[in-house]
Amino acid sequence: MSEKVAEAVNTARTSFTPLPEAKQVGDHYVALPNKSEDGWVHAHARQTIQAEPQALYAMWSDVEKFPLWQEQVVSVTRTGAKTSHWVMGDPEDEKGTRVEFDSEITEDVPASKIAWATTAGEVEQHGEVHFAARRDGRGTVVTLIQHFKIGKLANMAAGVAKRSPKQTVIEDLRHFKQMAEAGEIPSVKGQPHGPRGISGGVKEWMYGETNATPVGSSEQV
Amino acid sequence: MKAVCWMGKSKAEVHTVPDPQIINPHDCVIKVTRTAICGSDLHLFDGYIPTMESGDILGHEFMGIVEEVGPAVKKLKRGDRVVVPFTIACGSCAFCSKNLWSLCDNSNPNAHIAEEMYGYSGSALYGYSHMYGGYAGGQSQYVRVPFADVGPLVIESALPDEKVLFLSDIYPTGYQGAANAHIEPGDTVAVWGCGPVGLFAIASANMLGAGKVIAIDRFPERLKLAREYCGATTIDYSEDDVLVVEALRDLTGGMGPDSCIDAVGMEAHSGTALGAYDSVKQALMMETDRPFVLRQAIQSVRKGGTLSIPGVYGGVLDKINFGAAFGKGLKMGMGQTDMHKYMKPLLETIEQGRIDPSFMISHRIGIEQAPDMYKTWRDKQDQVTKIVIDPWQDVITA
Repeated sequence: MSEKVAEAVNTARTSFTPLPEAKQVGDHYVALPNKSEDGWVHAHARQTIQAEPQALYAMWSDVEKFPLWQEQVVSVTRTGAKTSHWVMGDPEDEKGTRVEFDSEITEDVPASKIAWATTAGEVEQHGEVHFAARRDGRGTVVTLIQHFKIGKLANMAAGVAKRSPKQTVIEDLRHFKQMAEAGEIPSVKGQPHGPRGISGGVKEWMYGETNATPVGSSEQV
Repeated sequence: MKAVCWMGKSKAEVHTVPDPQIINPHDCVIKVTRTAICGSDLHLFDGYIPTMESGDILGHEFMGIVEEVGPAVKKLKRGDRVVVPFTIACGSCAFCSKNLWSLCDNSNPNAHIAEEMYGYSGSALYGYSHMYGGYAGGQSQYVRVPFADVGPLVIESALPDEKVLFLSDIYPTGYQGAANAHIEPGDTVAVWGCGPVGLFAIASANMLGAGKVIAIDRFPERLKLAREYCGATTIDYSEDDVLVVEALRDLTGGMGPDSCIDAVGMEAHSGTALGAYDSVKQALMMETDRPFVLRQAIQSVRKGGTLSIPGVYGGVLDKINFGAAFGKGLKMGMGQTDMHKYMKPLLETIEQGRIDPSFMISHRIGIEQAPDMYKTWRDKQDQVTKIVIDPWQDVITA
């Protein structure tokens, strides 16, 4: 190696910025609930949302406005400081199946966590939602975890939204994010199209052209 | 209203359908004054894009006059003359905020379908399958436009429709193709495909400082446009003894082009045995795309060069020499176009007279002629380069 080359190599080696000292102990991933067992479905979804934890916590706490962004909620009525009565089903089908239950908030940490469980009614489920500002400042991580007793609610989700309970959790959080960020839930329900034919007609629900989609806007939540 | 509907593979029909209505609070409805058929519509016509359904209204290049606005629309108003970007973006998610508009988180109602296929969903598009949102397209007399304050570009000047219509897709798409090629002053750039996107990529490469642009196609009328309107050196790969990789080596002093742009995508034509192999595999659904151009571009580009892919790919490719890409240390850029980033500055280039995009229009038709023109263009008849539709006329005789 010529002296010149050796010098160039040496300069390159020493001109790197040294790595910063490790600032914290790293994490190890532990799987979030994602199984079905003993008659229960355990599901989760996680999204980064461009809003402050406090604002998202406030939006989730305002349970009576859930129908604006969750399509299978017909109405929510507050019955006490921590309790509410829920009617679920297809809001656009007045004669359609309805599932009713009471729910109670079991843990409430402002701007951070809400947990709930059903207390009476036709279904059994409990869940929690967490709000945590990202360390890199790029929004708030929202984690939704739900546990459903297989039965009426799962059937209702399958009937109204044509979704498995797991996909329902994913779509519910997606719609929450869409309302928080974009101020509406994207929809193609009721738009014009040409003749669908048999196969196209069968698939319309799958493509969101016939199932209920909330048309609320951010000005209402 | 009348609308051009996809009715199955190789079948487009004009149907009378209900007028679109405001669905969401940030929507508007536009009366379409001009719309166009895009080369990527041929991928739909040929049945290569999954989740198209009979009755879907086609078209993602359109402009018009705002007819009605939804209750939450603040800026856009009835009577505004607008060009609409083909990608639908909310304007407020992490991706829109980073200028990655074609990757918007919030515009696709069928994001779950795209997530199954791609892991994550990009933005929705007009008239481009249910996986991409299932929004009705603009080859129609009226169209619903979501996020009215985010997408539509208001045209204040008196420029005719034909000069600004291509801001809806192909001009920004060609421009992003050139921008992704990371052109440095004096660079040599090779462009595969002298269709509309390729021609705009050539024109844009010139604007971005390319020293020489080499254009590759097999249709004389397109190569003529590339030479005469865009100043390119042309290669006709269908001529005897022409081997593209060799031709590009010869034209670059044995070094290879600094950047290669694939403006062809998934339905590349090739007269070679490997081309026949791809056609058979694609027909048998054993691969979704025919990546002939991509293979050639990887082979042709110089060491350390850049590959830019504005041509559309849909799924699984075969026999891509990734080793060549790795061994030569290539950089790659690709994706749907971040329309909202480019429309306004590119409108200025038209207003300044630096480019007149209407040069490539070969056919002006009425809406009832559209179904036949899909076939004519697909079969590469009648020297089609670009088709513009007036949806309010049934037939236009040239």
